[in-house]
This record gives sequence, structure tokens and C-alpha cells, in this order.
Amino acid sequence: MSAVVTPRHRVARLAPGRIAIVAGVAIMAVVIFAAVFAPIIAPHDPYAQSMLARFRPVSAEYWLGTDQFGRDTFSRILYGLQITLWTAFASTALAMVCGTAIGILSGYHGGRVDRWVSAANDLLMSFPQMVAGIIIVALLGPGITNLIIAIAITAFPAFYRMARSAALALRERDYIDACRVLGYSDIRIIVRHLLPETLDDIIIVATLWLATAVRTESSLAFIGLGAPPPAATLGGLVRDGFDNLLDYPGLAIWPSLAILIVMIGLNLVGDGLRDANDPRATA
Amino acid sequence: MSVLVVDDLRTSLQINGGEYHAVREISFSIEEGETLAVVGESGCGKSMLAMSIMRLLPSVASITAGRILLDSLPIEAVSETGMERVRGAKIGMVFQEPMTALNPVLTVGEQISEPLRDHLGLSRREARKAAIGLMEKVRIPSAASRYSSYPHEFSGGMRQRVVIALAIACHPRLLIADEPTTALDVTVQRQILDLLDVLRTEGKMGMLLITHNLGIVAGHADRVAVMYGGDLVESATVTDLFRNPAHPYSRALLASLPRVDRDLSELASIPGRVPTLVNMPDGCRFMDRCPHAMEKCNSMPPPADVGDANLHMVRCWLYVQGGEHAA
Repeated sequence: MSAVVTPRHRVARLAPGRIAIVAGVAIMAVVIFAAVFAPIIAPHDPYAQSMLARFRPVSAEYWLGTDQFGRDTFSRILYGLQITLWTAFASTALAMVCGTAIGILSGYHGGRVDRWVSAANDLLMSFPQMVAGIIIVALLGPGITNLIIAIAITAFPAFYRMARSAALALRERDYIDACRVLGYSDIRIIVRHLLPETLDDIIIVATLWLATAVRTESSLAFIGLGAPPPAATLGGLVRDGFDNLLDYPGLAIWPSLAILIVMIGLNLVGDGLRDANDPRATA
Repeated sequence: MSVLVVDDLRTSLQINGGEYHAVREISFSIEEGETLAVVGESGCGKSMLAMSIMRLLPSVASITAGRILLDSLPIEAVSETGMERVRGAKIGMVFQEPMTALNPVLTVGEQISEPLRDHLGLSRREARKAAIGLMEKVRIPSAASRYSSYPHEFSGGMRQRVVIALAIACHPRLLIADEPTTALDVTVQRQILDLLDVLRTEGKMGMLLITHNLGIVAGHADRVAVMYGGDLVESATVTDLFRNPAHPYSRALLASLPRVDRDLSELASIPGRVPTLVNMPDGCRFMDRCPHAMEKCNSMPPPADVGDANLHMVRCWLYVQGGEHAA
């Protein structure tokens, strides 16, 4: 990442929203870099156990200490970050594609189909997100793929509603009628004329839902429904750390801090994008 | 050769179990290079007629009887996907509101290229070239550089030119112009109508000009069809209709027109209003507002075939043999 050198007086004039989005992007850049290059950055093998190195404190060799099996906490957090981010991105992308496609079709088509699909969506949405996640993981069984599907399903309603309401509003526009008069097929109208206009909003929702996906993944991992051991995920690390919380609080606190940083980064980016795209906001 | 033949067309609305006729027993034809103006008050079925020809009716409406021949092709026989190849290709349409008829997030050029690529199968590069040609044809200055402009960078008149370019892109046989100049300045109106005249003659298109502006009819149409409450009450050549309007509604309509050559302190108006579809009388639909209403008007709608359908048709009991007087 190349650092952008900005004169001081210009920083001062940046709107608070701009500072937030710049900070968010910077945080996420570091986090994603750390996750992607975890095998290179990590000073130790995250799975290598050592009975001689149990519960080491923070030191030059073990930056964040070691756990009850002598595994390096910092290395495990890096690998955990990798799995957590992959899960979050994959599930959000899955939910975004499916939710947007079905939402636009439903809103554009309208009528009975729309009513039934929306009712099903409302049913899904009436479950608290965690409860829905727990049920789905319990039904599908453990494993990262199932975890991704489960989180995607809990995130689906947000995209469905967003895309549907956009399509409902846009299909009343004169230029969509004009498209029909020009003999364009429904698919062409949706792909060329509806989708591009909804995409801005969809991407903003996606950024905000990434944070939620990280939280859901961590929560599910914390109650033991995450990726199966020995795979390290951030939520799983917090859970493992809980066993020795009173004697070695660092084991739970470090991965919690990692989750916190990721959440802050994603929210800053999402909020920043939303504000930047808000036509009511004064520049 | 007739570009469009509409024969005994009926379009009905199904509302709460009731059936209401929005377009009733309408017959007319448009020849190559000819402009037929359809005039009438708001809600008389003009747009419903256009949408019936396009087969783009709202879900509550349907064509219940009659035939529509587009260039000898019976459109009721065309499948729904087949209609997608007819609309935009054989029928072009110009809308009333150019400010909203264009997609705000696509450039003008991209939008004009789209029907060319969709209907004529042109490549991206060919379509771009053809689109610039079309923009020149509708007299958009410096077309090549305006290709990448967005609709908001265009004035209303320029946008209407873009809409016209879209409508004529695939050389349609029929051009439907639904109040094409209502939203424009008077000076721009004239330019747009002159442009439509030129394009129609050049492209040998038939034009269905929907309007409620009789001034436009006088200057730009060959024949006129007067609609009232879903009925075609009179059709004639423009000169004939303006000189000898026959139907009481046409006469009232012309009498309500301000004229430069006469000093009028007050404009004539037609008492009452168009009955709503739900309250349509069984007989003549204009009866309640007609100064010549008779007993007969109440009981039965007047027959449609009074007079010569091609020369001067009028739908009124006054002109039926045995009517009280032929005014």
C-alpha cells in the first residue's frame, strides 16, 4: 500500500465522513493484507503444539503469547482472520447475488409471485439472525461451506428487500415503459436498465453486511457452531480463550480485539460509502 | 397500402367483476406516409387505443374484439415474445414527456444504440455509427460529440429529438406520437412537428398522432379521428372536418377554439364533463352534453357506419335515415 502524503491544511478541511472512509479503507487494507499473507507473516505454525511453550506471556518470540497447547496466538489470529474474512466475503457475496436477483425479479414482476416470495422472505426475517444461523448450521452440519451458506441465508432478506423495493419504484418510471415500447425483453430491461441503478445501494448494503457477517461468524464459532477444530477462526479463538479467562485473559482478549478492529474498519467503510452516496447530505 | 388497419376494435377493462369498454367498435386505417390525428378530451380512450395497437395494455385491460393489421400482419396472432420483435422495430413511439422517457444513467448514444443492437443485430461499433447518423437525422447538433452526453445535459426539445431517434431507429412502418409536444415550448413544438413530418415522408411511415391540440391537427395531419368516451364519433380529412364538422361533439370542440380572426369576449365551452367509464350511458355517450339529444340517443348507441368510412364518417343519430333533422 502506498501512503498518500497529504498537506496538513488539506486534512483539516476533509469532511468528517471522508476521514472515516479513509480510515476504514486503511484499516481494511491492513487487515486484508494480513489475512491474505498470513502464511508469510505468521512467525510460527498456527497448528504446531508444544508442551514446553504453554501459556507463554507476550514476548519477542511469541508476540501475543501462546495458548494451552503452546500454539502462537498471533499466528493463530492471522490464520483466523483469513478464515473469518473468507467466510464473511463469500457469504455476503452469495447473499448479494441471490438476494438481488430474486428481489429484482420479484419486484419487477409484481403481482402474486411477488406477494408469495415477499411473505417467505418476511418469515425468514422474523427469526432473529443468530437464531436463524444456529438453526441452519444445525440442519446443515458443521464445515466452512455450510457456515457460509448459513450466514448467506441470514443476510439474504436485507438484499432481497433492498433490490425489490428499488425494482418496484423503478418499474413505474416512464423510461422503463419506453423500454417495453421499444420491444426490449424483460431480461434486457432488468439487466441493462434496472440493475445498474440499484447497484450503488446494493454495494453499500453489502459493505455494512460484511461487518454483520463477521459478527455472525464469530458468534456461531463462539457457541461451537463455527469451523471445526483445529481450524482457527476469530470467534473460535475467543471461545478457546474463555477456558482460561481468569488466569490468562489475553487468550480471549487478543482475538476479540481483532474482531473489533475488523468490525470498525468495515463499518467505517460502509457508513462512509452510504454518506457519500446520500443525495440529502450536504457536501 | 395501408400501414395500419384497425377494424371494429374493442378494448375492455375488468374492474371489480364489471366489464367497461374503454375503446368501443373503432375502425380506421392509416396509409403509407399519412398522418391520422386522434383528438379528444383526456380519458376518451386515445392512449388506450395506442396501447391496444402496441399490445401493452395494463393487466386489467384486454382486447375483446376486432382486428389490428400492422402492415398486413394481424397482431392478435403474434405471440408475446413475437410482439417484442414488433415493438420498437415495426412500431415506433414518441412520448409526451421527454424529460422522463430516457434512462438517466445511460448516455444518449448508448440508448440510441440499444434498439439497433437488439432489433437489427448490429455490432457495438456499427450501432455507434448508426446512432450518430440517427442523431444527425433528428438534427442534434454536433452529434458525434453529443453521443456520450447524458440526458440531463440535454434540453427538453433535444431530449424529444433523442426519443424520436429511438422511435425511428429500426425504420418502423408506423409511428405513434402520443402528445409529442405537450411538454415543450411553443417554438420547440413547431420544430419537433416539422421534424416528424420530414421523417414520416422520408421513411414512408404512417403516423398516428394523438393530441388534444386542434392547431397541431390543422397544420400537421392529413385526416382526423375524433374520439369521445371510447367511441370514434367522427373521422374525416382535416379540411373537411374543420369546414363541415358533423358530430355535435366535433362542432362543440371546434367552437371552443380561440380564433385570431374573430373578436370573442368569451370562449365557448362544452357543458358537463366526460362520464367516467363506470357511469357510461347505454346509448350515445355524448348524450348528456349534446344540445341535439333525442329520445333515440338514450336507448341505443348510434351505428358506426353512417357515411363513407374513408371519406367522412360520423357516428350520430342525427345523420341516420329517419333522424329528426340533418343539421
